[in-house]
Amino acid sequence: MESSKNKEEVFERLKQAIIEGDEVEAVKWAEEAVKRGIDAYEAISKGCLEGMNVVGDKYARREYFIPEVVLAAQAMNMAVEVLKPHVKMEKGPSGVVVIGTVQGDVHDIGKNIVKIMLEAAGFKVIDLGRDVPLKDFVETAKQQNADIIAMSALMTTTMPGMGKVVKMLEEDENLRRRVKVMIGGAPTSEEYARRIGADAWGKDAVAAVELAKKFMQEKHV
Amino acid sequence: MTPKKRALLCLTGNKWKADRVSAFDPLTTATVEQMEIVKAPFPDAHRSPKLMAKLAAAAWEIVGLEGFKVPFDLCVQAEALGAEIHYGALDIHPSVRKPAFKELEDFKIPEKILEKGRFPVVEGSVKILREKYGDYLPICRQVVGPFTIAGHVFGVEKFCAWIKRKDPEDLLDVLLQLADLNVEEARAALQMGADVICIADPTASSDILSPQTFKELLVPAYQRITSKVGAPVVLHICGNATSYLPYLPDTGIDAFSCDAQVDIAFAKQVLGNRVAVWGNVPTVKVLLQGTPEDVKRACIECICKGTDGLIPSCGIPPRTPIENFRMLPQVASCMVYV
Repeated sequence: MESSKNKEEVFERLKQAIIEGDEVEAVKWAEEAVKRGIDAYEAISKGCLEGMNVVGDKYARREYFIPEVVLAAQAMNMAVEVLKPHVKMEKGPSGVVVIGTVQGDVHDIGKNIVKIMLEAAGFKVIDLGRDVPLKDFVETAKQQNADIIAMSALMTTTMPGMGKVVKMLEEDENLRRRVKVMIGGAPTSEEYARRIGADAWGKDAVAAVELAKKFMQEKHV
Repeated sequence: MTPKKRALLCLTGNKWKADRVSAFDPLTTATVEQMEIVKAPFPDAHRSPKLMAKLAAAAWEIVGLEGFKVPFDLCVQAEALGAEIHYGALDIHPSVRKPAFKELEDFKIPEKILEKGRFPVVEGSVKILREKYGDYLPICRQVVGPFTIAGHVFGVEKFCAWIKRKDPEDLLDVLLQLADLNVEEARAALQMGADVICIADPTASSDILSPQTFKELLVPAYQRITSKVGAPVVLHICGNATSYLPYLPDTGIDAFSCDAQVDIAFAKQVLGNRVAVWGNVPTVKVLLQGTPEDVKRACIECICKGTDGLIPSCGIPPRTPIENFRMLPQVASCMVYV
């Protein structure tokens, strides 16, 4: 009883720190979680991510704007940095993901959240960053023996880049069979993913992790 | 009535003195098909005055849009300020690779900046267009707005975080210096023969900033530009700018070009006779993905809602079919006031 109350308090504090974009508090409570021996994955998902979800809701309601979201994301990143080394891995990485925001696009807050969640879920994530030249996705996937390519675009002008990556991938049949492609980002949709030949579309970070897990299960059947 | 006179009337809120709404697109007009026809492809057309003028002229020669707009991309200012640019490809616009400054204190506009980067290319293309087309068609020179340049030279996220963490006076100081740069480049272009200035400030989107921030940091910056330029000014901001509408008259702009999410009829109601409203045939859903018939329908809807200029809701996606794009001037020219 005592310990679960203890845990709840840490999660709540962590969540509030992120909602308020307070780096100092976020790091403090992440360290507190480690000190109290709280499961780090749980602290990330129930503290950090819950906080970021509230931030997302506030943004959708136009109560928050990007400046507030950026501060929250920074606070979350700092807290996750503290927690990540303590996430218990049961076995090796569950899969390799190459992630990035396509060429021409410099918006990457969403992509970073997906990356954090994938890592927390045990994936090895190779982050190509933002404004990524299209061929880099395919080349990196090849070199690193990746299972999944995850791309995001936040502008309608950069969206077509994702379709091109799929095409490049298709040039190598073996590679295409091995590598699944998932996409996301505000202007994209399930239908758009289908049209460009991607394997799936993720609505948000949680959906992206579910998709990645599903891909890996299918692969091992 | 010449297309130039019509465009200037429609931009300054005098639509009823013109014979019909204008289809002069002050936003980016270049598409891949046009590049292929006139043999002035991206990315070369960003770097040669001749090719830039050729591709800009395709808007009139091939699509039938009633005027020209240069440059095509949003990186000219950031590049001259020292940011690293990737020039993109045939259907990908140039983008900023690496910001120019780390800290706010590092910011400095180099001397004789108009001789740097691609400024001479842009001004050169204006000169070519003016010489070739005389006074018949209007030329729009785009300046990238202060907030978007700030995002390019410092990094958008960093600049956004500073809005919460730094003294607003310091941020405003930088934005006003960038506004002064806009004035300087606009004046140079007007001397070369440009008629209209379009401030494209996509990063100032209401999806990014609160109306409060817009009022405090951007309205003064736009005021600085409009009060000094001495030519009609159009402002284009991406996204749902509905919450900004009440502040627009204070900026001193002549016309506001609104994105697809804004209801033109509502914008007209809010702005009345104070600011002309241009827009907003949806670029992705209609112009890129629709049929000519869809475009026609959307054009008629815009006109019924009272648009002062029939243009796309944003810069045209490079893969837009010409037959779709062509519907804008076609519908505009069919429509005569009765």
